[in-house]
Amino acid sequence: MSGDLDVDLAVRLLGGTPTHENRDPVLLRHWAVAATEFGRRMTPRAETVRVVERDGGLDAGLLARYRSRPPVVEVYTDTVERAERLVAERGWRHWFPEGSVRAAALAHEQAHAWLHHTAVRAEFKRALGHTALRFGRRRLYAYVAGADEVAAHAYAHAACGLGRSPLLLTEALAAAVSWESEN
Amino acid sequence: MGVVILLVMAAGVAAMLTRKLPTAFALVLLAVVIAFLADAPLTGKGSVLDTVLQEGAPALAATMIAILLGSWLGKLLEETGIAGTLVRKIVEFGGDRPVFVALGVLAVSAVVGTVTGSAPAAMLAGLIGIPAMIAVGIPKVTAAGTVLMGIAVGVPFELPVWQFFSTALDLPVDTVRGFMVKLFPFALVAAVAYVLVESRRRGVEHTWSLKSVRARPARGDRRRRLGDAPWYALLTPAVPLTLALGLDVAIIPSLLGGVLYALVTTTRPREMNRRLLRTLYGGFEVAAPPITLFVAIGILLAAVKLPGAVDALQPLVKSVSPQNTVLFILVFTLLVPLCLFRGPLNVFGLGAGIAGVLVATGIYPAVAVLGMTASYNQVFGVSDPTSTQTVWSAQYAGVSPHQVMLRTLPYVWAVAFGGLCVTAFTEL
Ligand SMILES: [Zn+2]
Repeated sequence: MSGDLDVDLAVRLLGGTPTHENRDPVLLRHWAVAATEFGRRMTPRAETVRVVERDGGLDAGLLARYRSRPPVVEVYTDTVERAERLVAERGWRHWFPEGSVRAAALAHEQAHAWLHHTAVRAEFKRALGHTALRFGRRRLYAYVAGADEVAAHAYAHAACGLGRSPLLLTEALAAAVSWESEN
Repeated sequence: MGVVILLVMAAGVAAMLTRKLPTAFALVLLAVVIAFLADAPLTGKGSVLDTVLQEGAPALAATMIAILLGSWLGKLLEETGIAGTLVRKIVEFGGDRPVFVALGVLAVSAVVGTVTGSAPAAMLAGLIGIPAMIAVGIPKVTAAGTVLMGIAVGVPFELPVWQFFSTALDLPVDTVRGFMVKLFPFALVAAVAYVLVESRRRGVEHTWSLKSVRARPARGDRRRRLGDAPWYALLTPAVPLTLALGLDVAIIPSLLGGVLYALVTTTRPREMNRRLLRTLYGGFEVAAPPITLFVAIGILLAAVKLPGAVDALQPLVKSVSPQNTVLFILVFTLLVPLCLFRGPLNVFGLGAGIAGVLVATGIYPAVAVLGMTASYNQVFGVSDPTSTQTVWSAQYAGVSPHQVMLRTLPYVWAVAFGGLCVTAFTEL
């Protein structure tokens, strides 16, 4: 798993997102690269969003959650702790320094909030370049499901100065948690 | 004797509530006990074996065929990628605005709901629709509720349901259609209100989820190779409706028209035979639970219509049934929760028997009973946390059916109220 490139992980995430069931893998890769680039270069305004620490994330399969009404970021402490332990177990400390999981969670959700601004959305769609409709030389850009998630992870990756994409951590964590619950 | 019959019915509800017996088995057992209590002979005219079991079982045959054809058409919509393409287009065009996506999935669910109600419709619209809504930021409970409310918008125009009410209440299809057209605006307004109000109240949510990276089980491998359905094939769900509603074609040929349209717009001639058979047999599997239920309901209806049962129940039911317009609306609106949790007013359970009693004893005109049961059906179809479509949608979205019930109940209760008002003011 850690041998996979970060972009492969992003392609896998897009491929598993509904509405992409029959997409060409080359196209998925193109979107993964574009969304990662966009996320990496994003500069979200620092908004004052309330942060709430919560428990029960492992049961719900969540590490963090952003809700817009009222704006709040929930960080699931049990999942964050499990993730930190996993980083130590796998020997990934050089990629994910102590405390970086929580920081990445905050950055990830901050990116989601940013991606809801109309102007940002429009720019993001242009960057992905997927066409929904074309009239002569004018075209209407289509929304790409799952690309937000890739961009949010890419932003967290860059903003927190991680060695690898948080997607790697997510996959490892998902595997570890499901293995633990089955045994 | 009437009291004993009512007690037996209550025991039947208890058996269904506690899941001691599957609904269909409980209904057949109830029917046989009621028939014996009503002093029916074992064989001959008005008997347990000949009238209740032999004649009751196929009484709703036309409904069963309509259900089967609806399921067949549903399988075709799935296999040819028509349903998936509809949802994908909506997400591509409106993914930026979660409310737009929810309204789009609502519309797809409504359209699919007219073809095949209940669980198959929920799966058809929800398999891509629910995760797509969640991916654009719609909260999970809202997403599950949107599919269910959408199906309920389609239910007034669900052809198998027309057939059911027409046969069960012995009414012409025209009359059923007439009432359903009046019920539809209430369902539509409630569903759109649900999406708009809930989106405003709950906003959007985005998660860092461990599930996002887990590979989904491979589904529809055939569709994967086929790609999008052509745009004119996307009109398929409108075909049966246009035939039945616009051109007055009978229900079964209308549904067959839809099957034919889906086939010729998506399938090469040499593959037609195989696809038809494969989807038809798949449709049998989907239709098995409702058909089983309709066999049992036919038997129960035959039992409560026995002269002995009618004589025993008439005075009792008459004494508790409100005749005044306002009282009718008030009482039956308050009784709405009794159609949930396999309760006695569930139209696809004992509720059908109660409707049968009300018609057979002549306490209300059959049209009024239609109005009542159709109004309850709108509630049951969305909010009942024990009905398969609600359980499926909630669990697929990752929430509990009770959460979905609590969130949707106010809206569908209002729909039932609207339907009961129409009934009371036009039919009583
Ligand atoms: Zn996210």
